[in-house]
Order: sequence, then structure tokens, then C-alpha cells
Amino acid sequence: MRQAQTTALDAPRTAQRASPTPKAPVLKKKEPKAINGALVTLMGLVALFTGWALAVKYLSVPAYILPSPAAVWNALWSGLAVNPASPLGYYLPLWGTLKNAAIGLVIGSTFGLVLGSLMAESRLIEKLIMPYAFALQSLPKVAIAPLIVIWFGFGDGSKIAIAALLSFFPLLINSFTGIRAVEPERIDLMRSLSASRFETYRIVKLPNAAPYIFAGLDMAVVYALLGTIVAEFLGAQRGMGVVITQAQAVTDVAGVFAALVILGAMGILLHGIVRGLEARIVHWGDRGRN
Amino acid sequence: MKSSTDTEPDTSMTAHAQIHASTPVLSQAKSDLIHIRGLDKTYANGGVHALSNIDLGIKDGEFVCVVGPSGCGKSTLLRILAGLDDYDTGEASLDGKQITGPSRDVGVVFQAANLLPWLTVRENVALPLRVGGRQTGHTEDIDRLLDVTGLKDFGHRYPYELSGGMQQRAGICRALVRSPRVLLMDEPFGALDALTRERMNLELQRIWQTSRKTVMLITHSIAEAIFLADRVAVMSARPGRVIRELDVPITRPRSYDTIISHPAYPALAKEIRGLLNAQGDE
Repeated sequence: MRQAQTTALDAPRTAQRASPTPKAPVLKKKEPKAINGALVTLMGLVALFTGWALAVKYLSVPAYILPSPAAVWNALWSGLAVNPASPLGYYLPLWGTLKNAAIGLVIGSTFGLVLGSLMAESRLIEKLIMPYAFALQSLPKVAIAPLIVIWFGFGDGSKIAIAALLSFFPLLINSFTGIRAVEPERIDLMRSLSASRFETYRIVKLPNAAPYIFAGLDMAVVYALLGTIVAEFLGAQRGMGVVITQAQAVTDVAGVFAALVILGAMGILLHGIVRGLEARIVHWGDRGRN
Repeated sequence: MKSSTDTEPDTSMTAHAQIHASTPVLSQAKSDLIHIRGLDKTYANGGVHALSNIDLGIKDGEFVCVVGPSGCGKSTLLRILAGLDDYDTGEASLDGKQITGPSRDVGVVFQAANLLPWLTVRENVALPLRVGGRQTGHTEDIDRLLDVTGLKDFGHRYPYELSGGMQQRAGICRALVRSPRVLLMDEPFGALDALTRERMNLELQRIWQTSRKTVMLITHSIAEAIFLADRVAVMSARPGRVIRELDVPITRPRSYDTIISHPAYPALAKEIRGLLNAQGDE
């Protein structure tokens, strides 16, 4: 993004320099040529795929280790170019996974935000909760997944629960940190107006923490997707996790790759949505400091 | 002490006579809107002795500027009057009532405007009305304030879209929107460039002349203090005390051109500078 901007700005300048202006003294050292970011990325991508295709072809890598790009593309296309209602396509499993991840995300991040806010507002609640939060935070939470499957069964419940658990922590920590990071001058302002505690929280502290909360949400979105997939690995009727395990069962490695491409695209899309929301809501950006 | 220096004819009375006539600080508990007597404050953490035996009275409608060396406790004094800090001993009262916390009768203008960046200028100005849930029915007040301060066309803008001077004007509007009796200003123009600062001083004088609030303004600038104040209170280095109070016998409306050529100005500026230098300003 940044590189692309630099390039766009540099273009007219380069053009100016190229035009013959006899008056301009040649004092400046020759600057290194501006790098076209998008072009470099594209070239890298082409090189990667060419190398991949050539390696598979000439090093005779077996298809169950590394399928060719063409095979992955075919698998991807066969999953995409179907009636969306067909159980053979990606649409139904993807819908199932996204729905559970989204429900889990909403539940987990709401709890994280509420508890993080309470911890930031009350030293008592902080002292009470913080040790457990840190203990749970350092625990690899995916390891709890089998336990959650026992508690919630193989249905949607366990997927939602794991997604919620994983998205809870980034929101808890980030909303706590963000609310505590409020500038004392802004608190003074609210005190000088005899604002209630809740007014101070709602009008000053919560908006002040918004950049932190969005950073947490950015992490939580990916974690929720991850948690749902892991839960689906452990057993599910449908979902992208099921698509992957089914392909793996018949050593359809191209099918596994194709499913990973879908999940990668989802990750990028969700990340983009969070960033877009942040840009709209936290419009003041870094200009909010006194 | 004279009740209203601004109505006094600006004639042959020598500046020195006036300055020295006002020097002794006497209690005027009856006529003062803000009354401070023997105020002492030591910060609990660090044990910094911020204020020592402060005496200061401010009459209703009076404009008092407080000057003093850096770290002399000027801001602490203002915070105590705003009800944001407590104090150890002595009295601090507003209209005869002891100050125990923030009051609706007091509007505070902070350093560097202190606007909330997620609210528009209008929302920032309306904030004091929103707090406590009195949001409706005051749109005219807000319009009038924005109009008076030249922000009429910027109500829907966000603070970061405004210049520093405009931001501080919005800060002043916000302090005025509840129609407080007292305006407390903590180096409100310290972050502005010299030219903008003079223009803001002129505007503040105009606002004050129409609204007749009681104002206490803290500043580092001797010229700003003389330009704005009916009376200048000079504080000592930490622990802060009010070492001298000087009446400014210059008629209003004042302008920077006329005050500098006024016969009283050099003597006043010299005396304040001398008092500050004797304190060893850092």
C-alpha cells in the first residue's frame, strides 16, 4: 500500500526530471529508481508458481506430496463451479464454518470487551481475574478443544465455544490496556464536568480504547476461524475442516491445498473487513493525541 | 482595592502609585467570588510542597492572571479551584461555599484545547450539556457561541481538521456552554504561535467583555497577563505563594499596540519581570 503510494507520487517527479530543463542545476545525486511495489509482488508470485510447476514436473515430486498448481486449480474450480446448494461445493461447508466462527467471535469478543472494561475500571476485579487470564492466555487453548467437544458435543456448539474462547483473550487484554491508556487530561475534563463513571467510560474511555479494541478484533477474527477449523477436525457433520479431513483421507492433496486457499482468502477478506471498519470508526487515527 | 479598573479613566495617575497601593493582600471575604486564604498543598506521593500559604481573592466579574516560574504550583492552584485536586489546610471557597469538588459554576479551559478527537467541534462544545443528560434545548446557545468565536462553519468538522487557535476557541466555547460564573484557564494559548496568541487574547477580551465572567487565567507570558488582566498575581517559586498583586490601570478595550505605548505598561512589565527573575526561573 505504502509502496504503491510512493510510486504514484514518484511518477510525475521522474517525468519532470526527464524533461529537459536547462536551468535546473544537476546538484542532486542520482536517486535509486523508485520500486514498483505491485509489480514486484506480481513478479514474485509468477516466479513462485513457475518454480512450483517446474519443480513438480522435472523433479518428479509425487502428487501426494506436492500437487502441481494446475491440479490445485482444478480442485479449486471443481469446488467453486457448482450450484451453491450442492453438498459437493465449498459453499455449504464454508457457510457452516463462517457462521460458527462469526457467532463464536461475537460471543467471545463481547465477553472479552465487557470483562476487559470491568478489569480496567475496578482494581478489585483486575486482581481477581488477571491471574487466571494470564494463566489461560499462556495455555495453548487449542489443547482444550477435545475437552470442549466432550462438553458441547460434535454439533455447532463445540465449534462456537472454541471460536468464542479463542477470540475472548485478544479482546480482554486489548480493551483492558486501551481503557487504562486514556490520557489523564481527558479524565480531568470529564471530572470537571461532574460526569458519572459510566459517562466517562462511554464518552471518553471506550472511544479512546477503540484502536486497541480493533487491533484485538483483528487477531480475534483469525483465531475464531482457526478455532472453528480445529473443532471441525475433531469431528463435525460439515465445514471446511471436514472438507480438509475428507480430502486427506483419500490423499487428495490437491483438494487439501484448494481448501487451504479458500481459508487463506477468507482470512484476508476478514482482515480487510476489520481494517475497513477501523478506518471508518477510528477516523481520527494517530491525530487524537494531545 | 478598586472594583473595576476598566471603567477608570486612563489619565495622569502614575502607574507606580497604583501598583504599590494594591500590593498588600488583604482579606475581602465579603466581596470576593473566589476566596483563597492560607491554602497549603503537599502532594502525597513524592512529598512535593506545591503551594504554601496562598492568599488570593477574585471579585465577581474580575479578570485575574496568575504568573509565576515553571513548576511554582500555578496549575495546582487552578486544579484546586476547579475541584480536581484537594488541599491540605486553609480555605478555598466559591461564592461563600467551600470548594469540595467540581462545580457547575466553574468552566475549565485546559492547555492544548483537550478536545475529544472522535467528536465533532459541535459535539465537543455540547459535551458539558450531554453530561448529566441535558442535551436538548440548548442548540441556540451552541450556535451563538460558535458564531461569536468564528467557528460557525466548522461545527461539523473534527478537531484535527482545525488549526490550534480554532481548537482552543472550541475549548473556550465548551467551557462557556453551561454558562458558568467562573472561567478557569490553564495556559490556554501556550501552544500557539505569537501572532495567533495575540489574536486569541483579543478575542478572549471581547468574549469576557460581553459575558462578564469571573476569570482566572494562568500564563507564562508577561505581555499576555498585562493585556488581559484587571489584576496580575505573581507567584513565587515552589512552594508557591502569591508574592505580589498588581492592578493593571489600562482602559478597555485594549489592543497590543495601545498597551505597549501606555505609560503604565513598562513599569508593570518591569516589576513583574523583576519579581519572576528574583525567583530564579529555570
